[in-house]
Amino acid sequence: MIEVTAAAALPSTQRAQPDAFAERLSGAWAFIAFECVTFSAYFVIYMLYRMRDPETFARAQTHLSPTFGVANTLILLTSSWQVARSVHSARAERYSDAQRQGAFTLALGVVFVVSKLSEWSLELSRGYTFGTNDFFAFYFFLTGIHIVHVLVGFAFMIAAMTKLRTEERHPQTMEVAGIYWHMVDLLWVIIFALLYVVR
Amino acid sequence: MSTVAVEHASPVVPSPWFKRIAWHLRHNRKADLWIAWWTMVVFYILFGIVFVLMTHVMPPPSPAATTEQVVQWFGRIRTGILDGFSIIFLITGMAAVCNAIIAYSMSRMSVSKAFPYAYILLYSLSAIPGMLYSAILLSVGALRPDRDPALLHWLYDGAFLAFMGTMGIFLLGTLVWLIAILIDKNRVLPPWFGYLNICNLLTEVVVAPCWTQRRGAFSWSGSISFWVDTLIFALYTVAFILVLRRMVEREDFGTGALP
Amino acid sequence: MTQLRNVWLVLCGITLLSWWLGSEHSAPSTQAAALITYGALLITGVKVRLIVVKFMEAHQQSKRLQLAMDAWLLALVVGLAAIYAFKVSMPPV
Repeated sequence: MIEVTAAAALPSTQRAQPDAFAERLSGAWAFIAFECVTFSAYFVIYMLYRMRDPETFARAQTHLSPTFGVANTLILLTSSWQVARSVHSARAERYSDAQRQGAFTLALGVVFVVSKLSEWSLELSRGYTFGTNDFFAFYFFLTGIHIVHVLVGFAFMIAAMTKLRTEERHPQTMEVAGIYWHMVDLLWVIIFALLYVVR
Repeated sequence: MSTVAVEHASPVVPSPWFKRIAWHLRHNRKADLWIAWWTMVVFYILFGIVFVLMTHVMPPPSPAATTEQVVQWFGRIRTGILDGFSIIFLITGMAAVCNAIIAYSMSRMSVSKAFPYAYILLYSLSAIPGMLYSAILLSVGALRPDRDPALLHWLYDGAFLAFMGTMGIFLLGTLVWLIAILIDKNRVLPPWFGYLNICNLLTEVVVAPCWTQRRGAFSWSGSISFWVDTLIFALYTVAFILVLRRMVEREDFGTGALP
Repeated sequence: MTQLRNVWLVLCGITLLSWWLGSEHSAPSTQAAALITYGALLITGVKVRLIVVKFMEAHQQSKRLQLAMDAWLLALVVGLAAIYAFKVSMPPV
Protein backbone atom coordinates (compact mmCIF):
# COMPACT_ATOMS: atom_id res chain seq x y z
CA MET A 1 0.00 0.00 0.00
CA ILE A 2 1.50 3.33 -0.95
CA GLU A 3 0.82 6.24 1.42
CA VAL A 4 1.38 9.80 0.33
CA THR A 5 1.67 12.18 3.24
CA ALA A 6 1.27 15.93 3.05
CA ALA A 7 4.94 16.35 3.70
CA ALA A 8 5.80 14.36 0.63
CA ALA A 9 3.90 16.87 -1.50
CA LEU A 10 6.38 19.64 -0.60
CA PRO A 11 9.55 20.03 -2.66
CA SER A 12 12.38 18.16 -0.97
CA THR A 13 14.41 21.25 0.01
CA GLN A 14 11.58 22.73 2.02
CA ARG A 15 10.73 19.43 3.58
CA ALA A 16 14.31 19.11 4.77
CA GLN A 17 14.44 22.65 6.25
CA PRO A 18 12.59 22.23 9.55
CA ASP A 19 14.40 18.93 10.23
CA ALA A 20 17.77 20.42 9.39
CA PHE A 21 17.12 23.42 11.63
CA ALA A 22 15.87 21.32 14.53
CA GLU A 23 18.96 19.16 14.21
CA ARG A 24 21.20 22.20 14.14
CA LEU A 25 19.53 23.77 17.16
CA SER A 26 19.69 20.63 19.28
CA GLY A 27 23.31 20.18 18.17
CA ALA A 28 24.01 23.73 19.29
CA TRP A 29 22.42 23.05 22.68
CA ALA A 30 24.51 19.89 23.11
CA PHE A 31 27.59 22.01 22.45
CA ILE A 32 26.43 24.68 24.91
CA ALA A 33 25.94 22.06 27.60
CA PHE A 34 29.39 20.60 26.92
CA GLU A 35 31.04 24.01 27.17
CA CYS A 36 29.21 24.82 30.40
CA VAL A 37 30.51 21.59 31.93
CA THR A 38 34.05 22.27 30.68
CA PHE A 39 34.05 25.75 32.18
CA SER A 40 32.63 24.33 35.39
CA ALA A 41 35.74 22.18 35.63
CA TYR A 42 37.84 25.36 35.34
CA PHE A 43 35.71 27.09 37.99
CA VAL A 44 35.96 24.19 40.43
CA ILE A 45 39.73 23.94 39.95
CA TYR A 46 39.98 27.72 40.51
CA MET A 47 38.11 27.39 43.79
CA LEU A 48 40.30 24.46 44.87
CA TYR A 49 43.45 26.49 44.17
CA ARG A 50 41.91 29.45 45.99
CA MET A 51 41.26 27.38 49.09
CA ARG A 52 44.87 26.22 49.14
CA ASP A 53 46.16 29.79 49.45
CA PRO A 54 43.26 32.11 50.31
CA GLU A 55 45.43 34.95 51.60
CA THR A 56 47.43 35.27 48.39
CA PHE A 57 44.26 35.14 46.34
CA ALA A 58 42.48 37.73 48.48
CA ARG A 59 45.47 40.06 48.40
CA ALA A 60 45.96 39.69 44.65
CA GLN A 61 42.27 40.26 44.06
CA THR A 62 42.48 43.76 45.49
CA HIS A 63 44.64 44.71 42.51
CA LEU A 64 41.76 44.10 40.13
CA SER A 65 39.52 46.95 39.14
CA PRO A 66 35.89 46.25 40.15
CA THR A 67 34.81 49.10 37.90
CA PHE A 68 36.11 47.28 34.88
CA GLY A 69 34.49 44.07 36.07
CA VAL A 70 31.07 45.59 36.53
CA ALA A 71 31.30 47.62 33.33
CA ASN A 72 32.20 44.50 31.33
CA THR A 73 29.32 42.60 32.90
CA LEU A 74 26.84 45.35 32.03
CA ILE A 75 28.19 45.53 28.46
CA LEU A 76 27.71 41.80 27.92
CA LEU A 77 24.28 41.73 29.58
CA THR A 78 23.17 44.52 27.26
CA SER A 79 24.57 42.69 24.24
CA SER A 80 22.64 39.59 25.31
CA TRP A 81 19.46 41.65 25.54
CA GLN A 82 20.07 42.97 22.03
CA VAL A 83 20.66 39.56 20.49
CA ALA A 84 17.52 38.24 22.21
CA ARG A 85 15.60 41.14 20.66
CA SER A 86 17.17 40.37 17.31
CA VAL A 87 16.01 36.75 17.46
CA HIS A 88 12.47 37.83 18.35
CA SER A 89 12.47 40.41 15.55
CA ALA A 90 13.67 37.84 13.05
CA ARG A 91 10.95 35.38 14.11
CA ALA A 92 8.37 38.12 13.57
CA GLU A 93 9.98 38.75 10.14
CA ARG A 94 11.00 42.30 11.11
CA TYR A 95 14.31 41.81 9.39
CA SER A 96 15.68 45.35 9.42
CA ASP A 97 15.02 45.52 13.17
CA ALA A 98 16.75 42.16 13.58
CA GLN A 99 19.78 43.36 11.67
CA ARG A 100 20.01 46.58 13.63
CA GLN A 101 19.81 44.72 16.93
CA GLY A 102 22.36 42.18 15.70
CA ALA A 103 24.67 45.05 14.81
CA PHE A 104 24.24 46.46 18.33
CA THR A 105 25.17 43.07 19.75
CA LEU A 106 28.30 42.94 17.65
CA ALA A 107 29.22 46.53 18.50
CA LEU A 108 28.84 45.86 22.22
CA GLY A 109 30.98 42.75 21.79
CA VAL A 110 33.70 44.91 20.26
CA VAL A 111 33.40 47.36 23.16
CA PHE A 112 33.81 44.40 25.54
CA VAL A 113 36.98 43.25 23.79
CA VAL A 114 38.45 46.76 23.81
CA SER A 115 37.57 47.14 27.46
CA LYS A 116 39.12 43.78 28.32
CA LEU A 117 42.34 44.65 26.47
CA SER A 118 42.48 47.95 28.35
CA GLU A 119 42.02 46.16 31.63
CA TRP A 120 44.79 43.70 30.79
CA SER A 121 47.18 46.48 29.83
CA LEU A 122 46.35 48.19 33.11
CA GLU A 123 47.22 45.09 35.08
CA LEU A 124 50.33 44.41 33.03
CA SER A 125 51.52 47.98 33.47
CA ARG A 126 51.22 47.50 37.20
CA GLY A 127 53.48 44.49 36.90
CA TYR A 128 50.94 41.70 37.24
CA THR A 129 51.38 38.96 34.68
CA PHE A 130 50.25 35.37 34.14
CA GLY A 131 53.22 34.19 36.17
CA THR A 132 52.84 36.58 39.14
CA ASN A 133 50.89 34.11 41.27
CA ASP A 134 48.13 31.51 41.01
CA PHE A 135 45.38 34.13 41.21
CA PHE A 136 46.71 36.10 38.28
CA ALA A 137 47.31 32.90 36.32
CA PHE A 138 43.60 32.13 36.71
CA TYR A 139 42.64 35.75 36.04
CA PHE A 140 44.45 35.87 32.72
CA PHE A 141 43.44 32.33 31.82
CA LEU A 142 39.71 32.69 32.55
CA THR A 143 39.39 36.10 30.95
CA GLY A 144 41.60 34.96 28.05
CA ILE A 145 39.72 31.79 27.20
CA HIS A 146 36.50 33.76 27.59
CA ILE A 147 37.64 36.42 25.11
CA VAL A 148 38.43 33.69 22.60
CA HIS A 149 34.81 32.54 23.02
CA VAL A 150 33.67 36.12 22.36
CA LEU A 151 35.65 36.15 19.12
CA VAL A 152 34.02 32.87 18.07
CA GLY A 153 30.73 34.62 18.89
CA PHE A 154 31.65 37.34 16.40
CA ALA A 155 31.94 34.69 13.70
CA PHE A 156 28.49 33.31 14.59
CA MET A 157 26.94 36.80 14.62
CA ILE A 158 28.45 37.80 11.29
CA ALA A 159 27.24 34.54 9.73
CA ALA A 160 23.77 35.11 11.22
CA MET A 161 23.52 38.68 10.00
CA THR A 162 24.68 37.69 6.54
CA LYS A 163 21.98 35.02 6.42
CA LEU A 164 19.35 37.61 7.37
CA ARG A 165 20.33 39.71 4.41
CA THR A 166 20.12 36.96 1.77
CA GLU A 167 17.02 36.10 -0.19
CA GLU A 168 16.11 33.22 2.10
CA ARG A 169 15.97 35.59 5.06
CA HIS A 170 15.57 32.90 7.61
CA PRO A 171 16.22 33.53 11.30
CA GLN A 172 17.72 30.14 11.99
CA THR A 173 21.38 31.06 12.07
CA MET A 174 20.54 33.96 14.36
CA GLU A 175 18.79 31.54 16.74
CA VAL A 176 21.98 29.49 17.01
CA ALA A 177 24.17 32.61 17.23
CA GLY A 178 21.83 33.93 19.91
CA ILE A 179 22.05 30.99 22.27
CA TYR A 180 25.83 30.83 21.80
CA TRP A 181 26.09 34.52 22.65
CA HIS A 182 23.96 34.04 25.77
CA MET A 183 26.30 31.24 26.84
CA VAL A 184 29.28 33.59 26.49
CA ASP A 185 27.36 36.09 28.62
CA LEU A 186 26.43 33.65 31.36
CA LEU A 187 29.98 32.32 31.56
CA TRP A 188 31.19 35.87 32.07
CA VAL A 189 28.62 36.39 34.84
CA ILE A 190 30.16 33.45 36.69
CA ILE A 191 33.74 34.55 35.97
CA PHE A 192 32.94 38.04 37.26
CA ALA A 193 31.65 36.64 40.53
CA LEU A 194 34.63 34.30 41.00
CA LEU A 195 37.36 36.78 40.15
CA TYR A 196 35.96 40.10 41.36
CA VAL A 197 33.47 39.42 44.13
CA VAL A 198 34.15 36.14 45.93
CA ARG A 199 36.38 36.80 48.93
CA MET B 1 6.05 8.52 1.40
CA SER B 2 6.06 5.11 -0.22
CA THR B 3 5.79 2.27 2.23
CA VAL B 4 6.37 -0.38 -0.35
CA ALA B 5 9.72 -1.93 0.40
CA VAL B 6 11.74 -2.92 -2.60
CA GLU B 7 13.49 -6.15 -1.83
CA HIS B 8 16.90 -6.71 -3.30
CA ALA B 9 18.08 -10.27 -3.58
CA SER B 10 20.57 -10.54 -0.69
CA PRO B 11 24.01 -11.59 -1.85
CA VAL B 12 25.17 -14.89 -0.45
CA VAL B 13 28.01 -14.10 1.92
CA PRO B 14 30.12 -17.09 2.96
CA SER B 15 30.04 -17.84 6.66
CA PRO B 16 33.51 -18.63 8.03
CA TRP B 17 34.88 -15.27 9.17
CA PHE B 18 37.99 -15.33 6.97
CA LYS B 19 35.98 -16.12 3.86
CA ARG B 20 33.54 -13.36 4.80
CA ILE B 21 36.34 -10.81 5.02
CA ALA B 22 37.74 -11.99 1.69
CA TRP B 23 34.28 -11.70 0.14
CA HIS B 24 33.91 -8.13 1.46
CA LEU B 25 37.32 -7.14 0.17
CA ARG B 26 36.33 -8.29 -3.27
CA HIS B 27 32.72 -7.17 -3.48
CA ASN B 28 31.99 -4.46 -0.91
CA ARG B 29 32.17 -1.00 -2.49
CA LYS B 30 32.97 0.46 0.89
CA ALA B 31 35.80 -1.95 1.67
CA ASP B 32 38.47 0.75 1.47
CA LEU B 33 36.46 3.06 3.72
CA TRP B 34 36.00 0.33 6.31
CA ILE B 35 39.70 -0.55 6.17
CA ALA B 36 40.51 3.11 6.75
CA TRP B 37 38.04 3.35 9.64
CA TRP B 38 39.35 0.22 11.34
CA THR B 39 42.93 1.41 10.84
CA MET B 40 41.98 4.58 12.69
CA VAL B 41 40.44 2.62 15.58
CA VAL B 42 43.46 0.32 15.90
CA PHE B 43 45.83 3.30 15.71
CA TYR B 44 44.17 5.12 18.58
CA ILE B 45 44.02 1.99 20.70
CA LEU B 46 47.74 1.37 20.15
CA PHE B 47 48.49 5.05 20.77
CA GLY B 48 46.66 4.84 24.07
CA ILE B 49 48.41 1.65 25.12
CA VAL B 50 51.86 3.00 24.25
CA PHE B 51 51.52 6.53 25.59
CA VAL B 52 49.61 5.66 28.76
CA LEU B 53 50.61 2.16 29.78
CA MET B 54 54.03 1.57 28.28
CA THR B 55 55.84 4.88 28.21
CA HIS B 56 53.90 6.73 30.97
CA VAL B 57 53.97 9.91 28.90
CA MET B 58 50.31 10.38 29.67
CA PRO B 59 49.77 11.56 32.36
CA PRO B 60 53.11 13.33 32.16
CA PRO B 61 55.52 13.66 35.05
CA SER B 62 55.92 17.13 36.48
CA PRO B 63 57.97 19.97 34.95
CA ALA B 64 58.97 20.82 38.51
CA ALA B 65 60.97 17.60 38.83
CA THR B 66 64.63 17.93 39.83
CA THR B 67 67.35 16.50 37.63
CA GLU B 68 67.72 13.59 40.03
CA GLN B 69 64.01 12.80 39.78
CA VAL B 70 64.24 12.95 35.99
CA VAL B 71 67.11 10.46 35.98
CA GLN B 72 65.07 8.15 38.23
CA TRP B 73 62.05 8.48 35.95
CA PHE B 74 64.07 7.46 32.91
CA GLY B 75 65.57 4.61 34.87
CA ARG B 76 62.17 3.28 35.91
CA ILE B 77 60.53 3.44 32.49
CA ARG B 78 63.51 2.71 30.27
CA THR B 79 62.30 -0.49 28.64
CA GLY B 80 58.73 0.81 28.42
CA ILE B 81 59.97 3.84 26.47
CA LEU B 82 62.16 1.86 24.11
CA ASP B 83 59.59 -0.89 23.45
CA GLY B 84 56.60 1.40 23.32
CA PHE B 85 58.06 3.98 21.01
CA SER B 86 59.43 1.38 18.61
CA ILE B 87 55.79 0.41 18.11
CA ILE B 88 54.93 4.06 17.49
CA PHE B 89 57.69 4.43 14.92
CA LEU B 90 56.31 1.37 13.10
CA ILE B 91 52.70 2.51 13.06
CA THR B 92 53.25 6.19 12.20
CA GLY B 93 51.78 5.60 8.75
CA MET B 94 48.44 4.74 10.31
CA ALA B 95 48.10 8.38 11.36
CA ALA B 96 48.06 9.30 7.68
CA VAL B 97 45.12 6.95 7.14
CA CYS B 98 43.22 8.72 9.96
CA ASN B 99 43.77 12.00 8.18
CA ALA B 100 42.66 10.43 4.92
CA ILE B 101 39.27 9.30 6.15
CA ILE B 102 38.65 12.68 7.76
CA ALA B 103 39.60 14.41 4.52
CA TYR B 104 37.31 11.96 2.69
CA SER B 105 34.41 13.20 4.80
CA MET B 106 35.11 16.72 3.53
CA SER B 107 35.40 15.61 -0.07
CA ARG B 108 31.90 14.13 0.21
CA MET B 109 30.55 17.46 1.49
CA SER B 110 29.15 20.21 -0.70
CA VAL B 111 32.12 22.42 0.20
CA SER B 112 35.13 23.27 -1.95
CA LYS B 113 37.86 20.66 -2.38
CA ALA B 114 40.22 23.21 -0.85
CA PHE B 115 39.03 22.03 2.55
CA PRO B 116 40.18 18.39 2.36
CA TYR B 117 43.41 19.42 0.65
CA ALA B 118 44.18 22.04 3.29
CA TYR B 119 43.40 19.52 6.02
CA ILE B 120 45.69 16.89 4.53
CA LEU B 121 48.51 19.40 4.13
CA LEU B 122 48.13 20.67 7.68
CA TYR B 123 47.81 17.31 9.30
CA SER B 124 50.60 15.73 7.29
CA LEU B 125 52.84 17.75 9.57
CA SER B 126 50.92 16.89 12.72
CA ALA B 127 52.59 13.56 13.49
CA ILE B 128 55.86 15.34 14.18
CA PRO B 129 54.90 17.50 17.16
CA GLY B 130 52.02 15.26 18.13
CA MET B 131 53.95 12.07 18.41
CA LEU B 132 57.32 11.61 16.75
CA TYR B 133 59.43 14.42 18.17
CA SER B 134 58.70 13.46 21.77
CA ALA B 135 59.08 9.77 21.01
CA ILE B 136 62.51 10.39 19.46
CA LEU B 137 63.76 12.59 22.30
CA LEU B 138 62.63 10.20 25.01
CA SER B 139 63.98 7.17 23.16
CA VAL B 140 67.35 8.88 22.78
CA GLY B 141 67.31 9.60 26.50
CA ALA B 142 66.46 6.03 27.38
CA LEU B 143 68.96 4.46 25.00
CA ARG B 144 72.01 4.82 27.22
CA PRO B 145 71.43 4.31 30.98
CA ASP B 146 74.54 6.32 31.90
CA ARG B 147 73.65 9.51 30.07
CA ASP B 148 74.67 12.87 31.50
CA PRO B 149 71.78 13.90 33.84
CA ALA B 150 71.73 17.42 32.46
CA LEU B 151 71.23 16.00 28.97
CA LEU B 152 68.46 13.75 30.23
CA HIS B 153 66.74 16.75 31.78
CA TRP B 154 67.00 18.60 28.44
CA LEU B 155 65.48 15.67 26.56
CA TYR B 156 62.71 15.40 29.18
CA ASP B 157 61.81 19.09 28.92
CA GLY B 158 62.00 19.06 25.12
CA ALA B 159 59.85 15.95 24.80
CA PHE B 160 57.06 17.11 27.08
CA LEU B 161 56.95 20.70 25.90
CA ALA B 162 56.78 19.50 22.30
CA PHE B 163 54.12 16.92 23.07
CA MET B 164 51.87 19.22 25.10
CA GLY B 165 52.50 22.66 23.74
CA THR B 166 52.75 22.51 19.96
CA MET B 167 49.13 22.74 19.07
CA GLY B 168 49.00 25.29 16.27
CA ILE B 169 48.64 22.71 13.49
CA PHE B 170 45.83 20.91 15.27
CA LEU B 171 44.10 24.23 15.89
CA LEU B 172 44.11 25.16 12.21
CA GLY B 173 43.16 21.67 11.05
CA THR B 174 40.24 21.54 13.45
CA LEU B 175 39.13 24.95 12.21
CA VAL B 176 39.15 23.73 8.61
CA TRP B 177 37.04 20.69 9.48
CA LEU B 178 34.74 22.76 11.68
CA ILE B 179 33.91 25.28 8.97
CA ALA B 180 33.43 22.53 6.38
CA ILE B 181 30.96 20.66 8.60
CA LEU B 182 28.90 23.73 9.44
CA ILE B 183 28.54 25.02 5.89
CA ASP B 184 28.07 21.60 4.32
CA LYS B 185 24.68 21.04 2.69
CA ASN B 186 25.08 17.30 2.25
CA ARG B 187 24.70 16.60 5.96
CA VAL B 188 27.71 14.31 5.91
CA LEU B 189 28.46 14.88 9.59
CA PRO B 190 25.97 16.04 12.25
CA PRO B 191 25.93 19.69 13.41
CA TRP B 192 26.61 18.77 17.05
CA PHE B 193 29.93 17.33 15.97
CA GLY B 194 30.72 20.48 14.00
CA TYR B 195 30.19 22.51 17.14
CA LEU B 196 32.22 20.03 19.21
CA ASN B 197 35.16 20.95 16.98
CA ILE B 198 35.08 24.36 18.65
CA CYS B 199 35.74 22.66 22.00
CA ASN B 200 38.69 20.73 20.57
CA LEU B 201 39.99 23.88 18.90
CA LEU B 202 39.93 25.71 22.19
CA THR B 203 41.87 22.94 23.96
CA GLU B 204 44.73 23.81 21.65
CA VAL B 205 44.66 27.32 23.09
CA VAL B 206 44.41 26.15 26.70
CA VAL B 207 47.76 24.33 26.56
CA ALA B 208 49.65 27.42 25.44
CA PRO B 209 50.60 28.56 28.98
CA CYS B 210 52.56 25.34 29.57
CA TRP B 211 55.56 26.96 27.91
CA THR B 212 55.87 29.42 30.79
CA GLN B 213 54.59 27.50 33.79
CA ARG B 214 56.71 25.03 35.71
CA ARG B 215 54.03 24.24 38.26
CA GLY B 216 50.34 24.68 38.83
CA ALA B 217 47.19 24.16 36.85
CA PHE B 218 48.68 25.47 33.59
CA SER B 219 51.92 23.52 33.49
CA TRP B 220 52.25 20.59 31.10
CA SER B 221 51.03 18.22 33.83
CA GLY B 222 48.53 20.67 35.32
CA SER B 223 44.92 19.95 36.19
CA ILE B 224 43.69 22.30 33.48
CA SER B 225 46.31 22.19 30.73
CA PHE B 226 46.65 18.43 30.93
CA TRP B 227 43.75 16.71 32.70
CA VAL B 228 40.72 18.73 31.58
CA ASP B 229 42.22 19.25 28.15
CA THR B 230 43.04 15.58 27.58
CA LEU B 231 39.58 14.53 28.76
CA ILE B 232 38.00 16.80 26.18
CA PHE B 233 40.35 15.50 23.52
CA ALA B 234 39.55 11.88 24.44
CA LEU B 235 35.79 12.55 24.23
CA TYR B 236 36.31 14.34 20.91
CA THR B 237 38.29 11.36 19.56
CA VAL B 238 35.55 8.92 20.54
CA ALA B 239 33.02 11.28 18.94
CA PHE B 240 34.78 11.50 15.60
CA ILE B 241 35.37 7.78 15.45
CA LEU B 242 31.62 7.26 15.95
CA VAL B 243 30.44 9.93 13.49
CA LEU B 244 32.85 8.70 10.82
CA ARG B 245 31.51 5.18 11.26
CA ARG B 246 27.99 6.54 10.73
CA MET B 247 29.22 8.35 7.64
CA VAL B 248 30.67 5.19 6.13
CA GLU B 249 27.43 3.32 6.88
CA ARG B 250 25.35 6.04 5.21
CA GLU B 251 27.66 6.57 2.23
CA ASP B 252 25.87 6.20 -1.07
CA PHE B 253 28.69 7.42 -3.35
CA GLY B 254 26.41 10.11 -4.76
CA THR B 255 26.95 13.85 -4.80
CA GLY B 256 23.87 15.01 -2.90
CA ALA B 257 22.84 14.76 0.71
CA LEU B 258 23.71 11.55 2.50
CA PRO B 259 20.65 9.50 3.41
CA MET C 1 9.87 42.52 23.77
CA THR C 2 9.09 44.46 26.93
CA GLN C 3 9.68 41.30 28.89
CA LEU C 4 13.18 41.10 27.45
CA ARG C 5 13.88 44.67 28.51
CA ASN C 6 12.60 43.99 32.00
CA VAL C 7 14.80 40.92 32.32
CA TRP C 8 17.75 43.03 31.23
CA LEU C 9 16.96 45.71 33.80
CA VAL C 10 16.70 43.12 36.55
CA LEU C 11 20.01 41.54 35.50
CA CYS C 12 21.75 44.92 35.51
CA GLY C 13 20.23 45.77 38.85
CA ILE C 14 21.41 42.52 40.40
CA THR C 15 24.89 43.13 38.97
CA LEU C 16 25.07 46.52 40.62
CA LEU C 17 23.89 44.92 43.84
CA SER C 18 26.71 42.39 43.74
CA TRP C 19 29.15 45.22 42.96
CA TRP C 20 28.03 46.98 46.10
CA LEU C 21 28.36 43.71 47.96
CA GLY C 22 31.92 43.26 46.78
CA SER C 23 33.10 46.82 47.08
CA GLU C 24 32.50 47.25 50.76
CA HIS C 25 35.74 45.92 52.24
CA SER C 26 39.18 45.33 50.86
CA ALA C 27 40.08 43.20 53.90
CA PRO C 28 36.85 41.80 55.30
CA SER C 29 36.54 39.68 58.40
CA THR C 30 36.18 35.97 57.77
CA GLN C 31 32.46 36.15 58.46
CA ALA C 32 31.91 39.11 56.16
CA ALA C 33 33.99 37.38 53.47
CA ALA C 34 31.84 34.27 53.75
CA LEU C 35 28.63 36.28 53.47
CA ILE C 36 29.94 38.13 50.43
CA THR C 37 31.01 34.86 48.81
CA TYR C 38 27.77 32.98 49.43
CA GLY C 39 25.82 36.06 48.39
CA ALA C 40 27.80 36.36 45.19
CA LEU C 41 27.32 32.67 44.33
CA LEU C 42 23.60 32.87 44.98
CA ILE C 43 23.23 36.04 42.93
CA THR C 44 25.22 34.46 40.13
CA GLY C 45 22.91 31.46 40.16
CA VAL C 46 19.87 33.73 39.87
CA LYS C 47 21.41 35.71 37.01
CA VAL C 48 22.48 32.63 35.06
CA ARG C 49 19.04 31.06 35.47
CA LEU C 50 17.37 34.23 34.21
CA ILE C 51 19.59 34.17 31.14
CA VAL C 52 18.94 30.47 30.49
CA VAL C 53 15.17 30.71 30.92
CA LYS C 54 14.32 34.17 29.58
CA PHE C 55 16.99 34.79 26.95
CA MET C 56 17.94 31.30 25.81
CA GLU C 57 14.39 29.93 26.23
CA ALA C 58 15.70 26.50 27.19
CA HIS C 59 12.30 25.31 28.38
CA GLN C 60 10.87 26.00 24.94
CA GLN C 61 13.50 23.84 23.33
CA SER C 62 12.70 20.92 25.63
CA LYS C 63 11.68 20.40 29.24
CA ARG C 64 14.50 17.91 29.72
CA LEU C 65 17.00 20.47 28.54
CA GLN C 66 15.72 23.02 31.04
CA LEU C 67 15.98 20.39 33.75
CA ALA C 68 19.53 19.55 32.71
CA MET C 69 20.60 23.20 32.73
CA ASP C 70 18.97 23.69 36.14
CA ALA C 71 20.71 20.61 37.49
CA TRP C 72 24.05 21.82 36.16
CA LEU C 73 23.62 25.29 37.65
CA LEU C 74 22.58 23.92 41.02
CA ALA C 75 25.48 21.48 41.09
CA LEU C 76 27.94 24.23 40.16
CA VAL C 77 26.75 26.79 42.70
CA VAL C 78 26.41 24.24 45.50
CA GLY C 79 29.74 22.65 44.58
CA LEU C 80 31.61 25.94 44.63
CA ALA C 81 29.94 26.94 47.91
CA ALA C 82 30.83 23.57 49.43
CA ILE C 83 34.48 23.84 48.39
CA TYR C 84 34.55 27.28 49.99
CA ALA C 85 32.70 26.19 53.12
CA PHE C 86 34.74 23.08 53.80
CA LYS C 87 37.99 24.59 52.56
CA VAL C 88 38.56 21.71 50.14
CA SER C 89 41.80 22.48 48.36
CA MET C 90 44.37 21.22 45.93
CA PRO C 91 47.06 19.19 47.70
CA PRO C 92 50.07 21.31 48.68
CA VAL C 93 52.86 21.59 46.12
